[in-house]
Amino acid sequence: MLMSPTTYLEAIRQGIWEEMERDPAVFCIGEDIGIYGGAFKVTEGFIDRFGAARVIDTPIAESAIVGAAYGASLTGLRPVAEFQFMDFIGCAFNQIVNMVAKSHYRWSAPAPLVLRGPCGGGVHGGPFHSQNPEMPFVHTPGMKVIAPATPRDAKGLIKSAIRDNNPVLFLEHKLLYRRIKEELPETGDEIIPIGKARIARVGKDISVITYAAMVHTALEAADILAKEGIELEIVDLRTLLPLDRQAIATTVKRTNKVIILHEDTKTGGLAGEITAIINEEAFEDLDGPIVRIASLDTPVPFSPPLEKFFLPKAEDIMREARKLQAY
Amino acid sequence: MKKTPRPSSKKTSKNLKTRVGSRPAGSPAAGDGASRKALSISHPNRASRNGASSQPVSKNPHGIPDWRLEQPDFTTVEVSKNGNVHYEVRGNLRAPAPPIRDSKYLKPEQCVELYRWMLLNRKMEQTLETLYKQSEVVGGVYFGLGQESCSCASAYALGKDDWFAPMIRNQGAQLVRGFHARDIMMQYMAKAGSPTHGKDGTSHYGDIEKRHMVSPISMLGDLIPVMAGVALGARLQGRNLAVLTWIGDGGQSTGVTHEGLNFAAVQKLGLVLIVENNLWAYSTPTEMQFAVKDLADRAIGYGIPGVIVDGTDACQVYDATYEAVQRAHRGEGASLIEAKMMRMKGHAIHDAAAYVPQELMEYWRKRDPIARFEKYLLEKKWLTPKQNEALIAEVEKEVEEERAVAEASPMPNPEDAAKGVWCEGCHEVKPKYGTPKVVKGSGKLKESEAAIHFK
Repeated sequence: MLMSPTTYLEAIRQGIWEEMERDPAVFCIGEDIGIYGGAFKVTEGFIDRFGAARVIDTPIAESAIVGAAYGASLTGLRPVAEFQFMDFIGCAFNQIVNMVAKSHYRWSAPAPLVLRGPCGGGVHGGPFHSQNPEMPFVHTPGMKVIAPATPRDAKGLIKSAIRDNNPVLFLEHKLLYRRIKEELPETGDEIIPIGKARIARVGKDISVITYAAMVHTALEAADILAKEGIELEIVDLRTLLPLDRQAIATTVKRTNKVIILHEDTKTGGLAGEITAIINEEAFEDLDGPIVRIASLDTPVPFSPPLEKFFLPKAEDIMREARKLQAY
Repeated sequence: MKKTPRPSSKKTSKNLKTRVGSRPAGSPAAGDGASRKALSISHPNRASRNGASSQPVSKNPHGIPDWRLEQPDFTTVEVSKNGNVHYEVRGNLRAPAPPIRDSKYLKPEQCVELYRWMLLNRKMEQTLETLYKQSEVVGGVYFGLGQESCSCASAYALGKDDWFAPMIRNQGAQLVRGFHARDIMMQYMAKAGSPTHGKDGTSHYGDIEKRHMVSPISMLGDLIPVMAGVALGARLQGRNLAVLTWIGDGGQSTGVTHEGLNFAAVQKLGLVLIVENNLWAYSTPTEMQFAVKDLADRAIGYGIPGVIVDGTDACQVYDATYEAVQRAHRGEGASLIEAKMMRMKGHAIHDAAAYVPQELMEYWRKRDPIARFEKYLLEKKWLTPKQNEALIAEVEKEVEEERAVAEASPMPNPEDAAKGVWCEGCHEVKPKYGTPKVVKGSGKLKESEAAIHFK
């Protein structure tokens, strides 16, 4: 039995709500998340159900939010901290990277907290409301980083994140919040494991390894390319740390050609890391160069034509796929 | 080592429990009047518990109580002479050391015990210096010389279940709260037997199971919101705990100090913040760190009580901390204590502190917290010279025994470097103080169709 189609945003809302119903140790903390329900309404109605003690509005102080969430986690609770926009995670960088992420390694104190919020562009949010800040945290041992592309994954992974004993950065792509819908299984408690990629589309010719909103861009390109006889296999990573090395190797071994696609800017982006993994795991299987498609190495520009130029598009994938097909 | 029971704080936890259930966190309703009444930590001039006579309490120009028995007035200035820029101190540095303020709360035997912790603190650090000179230490050593009173007396004022998070110089606090000298020594020696098994050094360790110490990190101020969060987590579980941490005159310049203190104040969390104003942040004097005269003034800006104490006077530190801890247990929120003293060594062992004017060193040497407390105890006859000798010998013996254990510990296995990045089933995470009591409203999850940013 499937329920009526659910948006990406509703799926995340349901996931957190159900975890708060299930486990009294789960609570939310962040800016404007209480009566207002959050800038994107992820926690709308939560305060009515769970009370102000478990849906805590804070001062505008990201280091305090992360610090307080971590402190509460040391007493055995499972805080879910919201960044109003993921761009503001930089304000809490030290707290996350030095205090939280190193906690278990340094002094055996698990830090079961979730840091979640909207990231990504395509909504004309400008340089400070559009960024994809995953890489500093993918480069931080002790963190886990999740970036779901579908409602089902978003719900199953937010549940996993809350139940995990480690600090999890949960990146919600704001372009997807209300644009995509999916029928979710009626058994609400589906858990999607952290660290496992998913094949979003099976194809024999070229692998596109991607995540978050770009999964949908790749699917759009794949439909058009299929008509030309080029079948893309789309791998949705879902978790960025720890990376599913096996899934990466397996798809490359099947298609022998690979495009790595992400919305984050190119230099120092995840594509470089995945390229190295392919070198280590499947170099002999490659029949062509590894192609990277990513945003320009610039801040995210504001004006729609500039932003459109900045972001990767289906046409970019089609162009690169046609070139690769010739090998 | 046996510890004397602290003055009881059991009574206070009951009314907190009722508040947690009935009142949303941060709501200004309940307890507001109570906290306003307590806005200045009082030290009424009444006879102390140990029967001593009363001593006056003054107030600074902003109304902050100042418990010190002297108000030194000097400033450090940058001076350029013959192409050489150095610090000079201006003001009266000839005053004799003030007496110890009689404690309102400490019993004579507690004073003796506290004195013993301070001695252990100092003797352990002297041994660390020796270990360093013998190349047994990996990296540097940090000392709390001249600040033992502040570290030990504040930690001594905590209740059994309260939490604390030390700064690098609060090694005495770790001893008071149940760690052994060997733990600290092994941290410095990077041994497998250290609390972090060699993963980190110095005071960078902790224990969330029994001794409730949160590990510091090198970045200053980050512990303040973390400790507020510990109090928040405990409150969600029906407990109002005091959470003690310290910050230096340098560390309080960081932005996260403000974020954390403000958050604790807004949420009325039981944070006890001791600002250890030891005059030097590495080599930078307070005159180049902040423009207020007393850091305790900042309490006014957070709407919490502030108080100034002589950090070299164990009784003042204890009493101020004790009152702040009791406020925390009553659910009345955060307190700020400025403890004035001086760091009597360099930033770390490599630093000779040549930038500190000699006459300032001389001034504070006369205010040595251990020598003054020893004199006080002997004069009160709470300790006989013979008992004192025996106590010193006992502490020295303990430190030697601890040192032997630390030295015997092996270094860690190299391959352990790869382990422990994530918790992979090695720890069970569950609410420490029992399942949070949850009050649920009748609300149901409805689809959100409200106006939002950036559709």
